[in-house]
Parts: sequence; structure tokens; C-alpha cells
Amino acid sequence: MGLSRREFIKRTAALTAASYVGIDLPFSNEQEAHASDADSWHKGTCRLCGSGCRLELGVKNGKAVALRGITKSRTNMGYLCMKGMLFYKLMGNNHPERLKKPLYRARKDQPFKEISWDEALDIAAKEFAKAVKQYGNDSVAYYGSGQALTEETYIFQKVMRGGLKTNNVEGNPRLCMASAVGGYITSFGADEPIGSYTNFERASCFFIIGSNTAEAHPVLFRRIMRRKLDNKDTVKVINADPRVSPTSRIADLHLQFNPGTDLALLNAMAYVIVEENLYDEDFLKNYAVFRMGKEKKQVDFAKYKSFVKDYSPEKAARICGGNITPEKIRQAARWFAKSEGTMSIWTMGINQRKRGVWANNLIHNLHILTGQLCKPGADSFSLTGQPNACGGVREGGGLCHILPAHRLVKKDKLRHEVERLWGIPEGRIPPKPGYHTVAMFEAVNQGKIKAIWINCTSPAQSLPNCDKYRKGMRREDVFMVVTDIFPTKTTELANLILPTAFIFEKTGVYGCTERRSQLTAKAVDAPGEAKPEVWIVREWALRLAKELNDPVIKKCVEPFLGKEPDYELPKAIWDEYTQKLTKGRDNDLRGATYDVLKKLPDGVQWPAPTKEWALKGGTDIKFVRGLDPLADKHAKNDLPYQFYGPAHPDKKLWIWLRPQKGPAEMPDSEYPFYLSTGRVIDHWHTASMTGRIKELMRANPYAYVEINPKDAEKLGIKPGDMVEVVSRRGRNVLPAKIYVGPCEGMVFVYWHDQAEDRMINRVTKDAFDPGSKEPEFKICACRIKKVSGPRPLKPFLVQMKA
Amino acid sequence: MKGKILKLCLLIITVAVASACSAGTSKKASTSTKMGVHPELSAQEKLTPCAQCHKDATPEVYKEWYDSVHGIANVKCFQCHGTYEDLKTSPDETNCAACHNAQYLKRPSDKKCWDCHPAHHFFIHK
Repeated sequence: MGLSRREFIKRTAALTAASYVGIDLPFSNEQEAHASDADSWHKGTCRLCGSGCRLELGVKNGKAVALRGITKSRTNMGYLCMKGMLFYKLMGNNHPERLKKPLYRARKDQPFKEISWDEALDIAAKEFAKAVKQYGNDSVAYYGSGQALTEETYIFQKVMRGGLKTNNVEGNPRLCMASAVGGYITSFGADEPIGSYTNFERASCFFIIGSNTAEAHPVLFRRIMRRKLDNKDTVKVINADPRVSPTSRIADLHLQFNPGTDLALLNAMAYVIVEENLYDEDFLKNYAVFRMGKEKKQVDFAKYKSFVKDYSPEKAARICGGNITPEKIRQAARWFAKSEGTMSIWTMGINQRKRGVWANNLIHNLHILTGQLCKPGADSFSLTGQPNACGGVREGGGLCHILPAHRLVKKDKLRHEVERLWGIPEGRIPPKPGYHTVAMFEAVNQGKIKAIWINCTSPAQSLPNCDKYRKGMRREDVFMVVTDIFPTKTTELANLILPTAFIFEKTGVYGCTERRSQLTAKAVDAPGEAKPEVWIVREWALRLAKELNDPVIKKCVEPFLGKEPDYELPKAIWDEYTQKLTKGRDNDLRGATYDVLKKLPDGVQWPAPTKEWALKGGTDIKFVRGLDPLADKHAKNDLPYQFYGPAHPDKKLWIWLRPQKGPAEMPDSEYPFYLSTGRVIDHWHTASMTGRIKELMRANPYAYVEINPKDAEKLGIKPGDMVEVVSRRGRNVLPAKIYVGPCEGMVFVYWHDQAEDRMINRVTKDAFDPGSKEPEFKICACRIKKVSGPRPLKPFLVQMKA
Repeated sequence: MKGKILKLCLLIITVAVASACSAGTSKKASTSTKMGVHPELSAQEKLTPCAQCHKDATPEVYKEWYDSVHGIANVKCFQCHGTYEDLKTSPDETNCAACHNAQYLKRPSDKKCWDCHPAHHFFIHK
């Protein structure tokens, strides 16, 4: 049983290409404090994925020492993943690399120097004012984050729109869930899922497509796993994905299709449902219509039937390739339609597609056809990747085309309503939406944007085809402010870096995937001079008002003047947003005051128009009379479901006729492989946080390229060999992992690594969905080649150069 | 080199003993929390996921874990045992409490979690 140390290490090297070159990461070896040392525990929400796990921070003498789950929380029932257990190591003075002072350089080829907050805010105000005066209001932009608190996104977009008169307000949720928004609005007439996580314990069939839930949403996966393991024979799990992943371990049926053939697969499932009369005739009659084309033309069921006739399982199996057979498609469709409650779950595999909105529509189609909605266990449920993409950005007005509380910029009535609620002159917010994300960074490339504020995200690493956009960010005539807690690939390109407080070092709300808003109050001090963003924006806006001699800018922050920044200021912003802006909207949050949120172990699901309703937790399932107060309020008839979504005047669900469309770039003789990207459980996004926690970095220190064993054999690639991955845009060199994961003809790379050679978004393509403007990260063409045997590798994180 | 091999063997024995104890043969041994003994590794070698080596070094433990709910749910070695600087063969129970706090608080005071929920298998009860 014993292995010699030599053998032990040899095996390690063969598997990972880990080297013997000693490099020391800045991990402290000093004895750390632990949970048992905590003298107080403080409720809050996990900082990382979009699940919204509730947890308590253990604090000892003002220092964060541990995290533990809250058992009574309806999101996670006390469970945490490794990231959720460990991110306290980034708080306060626990990590030596936290940004602690404002840093400035006039030119990007100069070193940074420390400056005071007064100087920093003056510079930020002068540069934005200068751009506005010289080049107009649309020469400035804000690029935010699904990780910012709702209060932060709200105040940033208020100052940009109401103060600086531009809709150049965007955020990284454009990169992950914009297609889901488009899908919900066009299929159901209202954004965000109908149901809740409670359906995990009620579903009899799970249809997981384009989601490695086990790694991307581990605590939600635990709930699905538990449901399956406790009901092995009666609960079915279908996993549809071009790659076998840890999620596949609980699957009864794995549908492994070639990338970009998902629309054919989904239409073929609809074919089976129609052909075998598995649809719910009453549900269709009462709640649905069929539509097609840009003009949203209504058609009848016969037309839909003739449309899906073109997607027989036999034909779809030929299109899909992989392991797909007609019988597997039929089986999946039957389980889906016949179960007592079917829950679909998806994320980036569906959303990050050239036709991501259509892919969303086709999943919703299956639910509408079979009536698998609104009843226990039945849900068409898009998972979100970031902790506040839903609450802050989708609901708070953090994208270029939307205002707070699901209002469209282009609708005059809604825009003027916001102006009135803010007490600013009518016409102050421009009627034209701003640049969407790819267009925004294209405008930076072209020098149309002269000043940009990037908050809590790292587009230099996270944009597809990022080298193209880093060129623009390097321009000396583009002034770039970056607010963050650690150095990143984006702070490297900034003029001004402003250090911010981390979660638990400030107060605010995150709204997770299931429409649930949850409060985290300050429990420890931020390190050095790091400040909450809400304070930074307020102080910047006051200076902007002076620079531009524009009292309306000051008006935007007037309700918040004089408030202390750790609690009273975010509370005042939350109150304005919820009490004024969400009143009467479908995400009515008036009942979810800070006081109410503090009383609950988790939070409140909207709609929650009253405190009484909010104290019960809010609305578990939308559109159901008796369960959703707005369904009763908006009821037009005696039917139990009322689809009152603001985007569908007919108050019906829409089944769409959407044909198969492939990706923007298909493999060819020059670039014969599909490249797809994704996550591993130990890291999150650009790893600026998880890479700085030693347990997590050690668990996955480098990105690798996953290659199907059959492809590896053909190309003579062995485990650990260094492999070049080249596309028309860029090149990476990564160690090989030979793995029956990706299907033949496909390779997979995770996108967290900051090392230039392993940063896969240098290779991905920036094509985007014409509807949602979400890029197609998941598919492009590449070629691969062994360049050497295993080589020494170093983990890499951007460090701040003095 | 001999010394290092010896240390590795010691680790394997320690893990095996802890595993056997936690299966219920010796309550006394199972209730002690020991700092783990791991072969000395360079900083670079420490950048290796635990399971990668332990799949071969302690295959029985690896299999028990892999087939357990912790294995399916991707609960990894370091979440319970810590990493090299704070490695514990028998975990600090407050690590269990990160996910199982309610159960941790109501457990019998004379028992460790794994006295009833066998380590690495994690059945509901022995």
C-alpha cells in the first residue's frame, strides 16, 4: 500500500504537470483563528455564486475568524461549499494584498502613487466632467457588476442617468444572464423565475441543460442530489450537455450533444410531446398562444405542429451528434412531460449562445406545452452566476436598456415616472439606451468613451476576445477608474484605483436567483482606507455637480447627504429604491425593509408589497392566486393562474417557433475543434478572491485543457503535456487533462486563471446574441497541438507593483 | 529520502488508524483530535489537490469518500481536514459545523460527529 515519496510525486507530476520549481505564494503560515474562537456571529449572504446561501460570520476581537451556514435559511438549509466556508480569509486585515489606499497615475505607463481620498475624488470628478464638456454626455460610462450590492448599483445608475444624462450603464450580468432575461420576458412576459428553490424538494424530474450545477452552484446541487438519492426510482434526472461533468453523476440519462445543436434537441423533445399527445390541452387553451418572427405574429397550434414536424428525433439525433439517439430524445421528452413536476435548470451553457434567447424560449416551450409550471415541482428555472445579478442589476436598473424595477428606458411613460420619483426634470434621462457591454468596450476601443468607471469586476479578463478590448483600455485618452478590493487584470490598466469595502465590511442587500433579497450588515472594519461604494459615489457626485455646475447631479444624492456610510446611507438608498421605485411594479419590495430583512434568517421573495407578506418570506410561486398577492390583484378571470407580466399585453404565455441555429463559428479544416469554457468548484470568476485563499488555490492552481481521450490519442497528447490552444483571436498554452468529459471534437478550459498563457478569454469569440447582446463564450473554433511534455508551471495572480 | 518515506508511511498509518477508529472500534482513539503528519512538501508540491495523491496513497479512504454524499457533492478533503499548515487527521468539529451547525449543537456531549456518522462514508447513522 505504501508509495515511495518519489512515486507519490511522480504520479502527481504526470497528472498535473506540477513542477518542482519552488515558488512561494503569499499565504501566511501563522496559526489562524478558528470558529471555536468566535465571540460573536453575524448574519449575511455568501459573496460568491448566485445561490444566495445564508451564513454567519464569526468575529473575534473585530477580526473575521470563520463562516458557517444558517440552518433555518431557505436557500441553503445551513450548507456551504468550500468557497462559502473560507472567504472570511479575505476580510479586514486577514489578507495582506487588500487594496487599502487610493492609487493614481496620470499615464498608464507610469507607476501608481498613493493619494488621499480628497485628491482621488477630485480627479475622478474632473476627468468625467472634462469628458462630458469636451465630448458630450455619452463619452462617459459605468460598467458594474452582479456582485455589487443593490444599493451600489442603484446609486451609480442614478447618478449616471439622472446626473450625467447618459444610459451608458452596463454590467457583467450582460455576460451571463441577459439571454435568460430575454427568454423570460418573451416567453412569460416578466423577468425572473416563476418558482423557487422549494421546487427542488418537490420535483419528480430534473432537466439540467447547459449547467454544471455540481461545480457552479454546489449547494443547490446538493438539494437536487438529496432529492434524487432519497427517491432513486421515482425521481429522474436528465443531464443534457456536450460535456460529462460532476453533475452527470446523479443523472439517469445523459444527453451529450455537439455544441450548438441544443435548439434542435429541444425542438425534437417538443416534437415527441406533440406526436405522442403528451401536451396539456387545458393549460394551452387557458394560458398560451403561439408566436413567430420578429413581428411576434400569432399563429395556431396547427402551424406549431407543422413547425416541429421538421425536428423528428431521428433528424435531431443526426444534427446533435454526440451520444444522442432518437430513443434517448423520446425518453427525455416522456419523462419531462409525464412527471408530476418537472424542473428545468440551466445557466451559461444556454445563455452564452449566439441564440441564447431562443434556447431559453425553447426550454420554456416545453414547460408551457406540458403545463409544467406553477404547480409544485414544476418550474423553468434559470440559475444565475453572481450573488446580485438578479437583485442589483436586473431589478436595480444596472443595464443600458433598463431602469430600476423592470422599466424599459425606451418607454417614455416609465422613464418619466422615474424622473418624477427622483424629483429631477422630465427629459433628464435620455430616451435612447446606452451601449451594451461589447458595444461599450468597442466604443472604448474607438475612443468614443473617454472616461469609464469599472466597479467590482474585471473585464480585462472576463470579456470574450479580451485582447481586443484590452487595447482600448490601454489607451491614454481613456481615463479609467477601477473600484475593487484586490489587484486584477483590470486594475493593471487603470488610472485611478479606489479601494472598497468587502461584504461584511459594509451594509447592503443581495438578491439571489429565486427573487430573494437578503441583507448583510457590517460586522468588521474594512482594511486601511477602503470605503463603501455608496460613500464613494455620493462624494463623487457632489464634486461632479460643482465641476459641471449642475444642481441636478447634486439632487440625485440629496436624499443621502449627511448619512453615515456603514448603515444609514445604504438604508436610505434601499428605502428610496424599494418604497418609491418598486411600488406597483412586479418586483414590489416595499415590505422588505431593513428591519424586516433583519428579522428573517434569510430574506424576502418579491413580490412583497406589505411588511406582513414580507415577514412570511414573500412569494414562493409567482402568478398563482392565493400564493402571489399580485396574481389576486391583477386577476382578470377565475382561472387559478394569472400571468400578469408587464411585457405581454394579452397576459398569455408565448410558445415560440424558433429554428435550430448553430454557433457563430463552426470548426473547419484549419480550426477543427470546438472550444468551450466553464468553471471549477474551487474558483470563482477571475479568481481575484478565490486564488488568494490557499486551500482553494492549491485545489486548482492552474487552468488546463480537457481533451477527450480519443482525440488525445489521435494527436499523441498525454496527461500533463503542454498543449497549444489557438483560435483566430488568440493563443493559450495549457497542461492537458485527458478526460472523458468533453465529447469528441471538443476541448474545454476553465476561465479563472489570470496567467497570460492560460487566460482563455484571449481565445474565445466575442460574437453575441442579437436579442440579448450576450456573448457566445461557450462555443468557438480552435486547433490544438502538443508543444512539449509536462513543464514547470506557476500559479499566477496580479500583484500591485509599488 | 528514507526519512521522508518514513513520514509518508506514518501519514498513511495515521489516516488508516483514524479511519479504523472512526468505524467504531475504539471510542477513545476516535475522540482525540491530532495534528496530521504529512511528508514534507515544497511550496510547489503543495499545489496539488489532496485527492490526486490520496487516490493512490489511501485508495480505500478515497473510494469511501468518492461514493459518499460528500464525494457526490464535491465536499473536498481540505474542508474537513484543513490544508498543510493546519492539517488535522481527525478534523476539528467546528469544520463540520460550517454546514451541520444544528446537528453539531445538539450532538451528545461525549461523542464526536464520526462516532455516529462513519468518517468518509457519512451514512446517516452507524
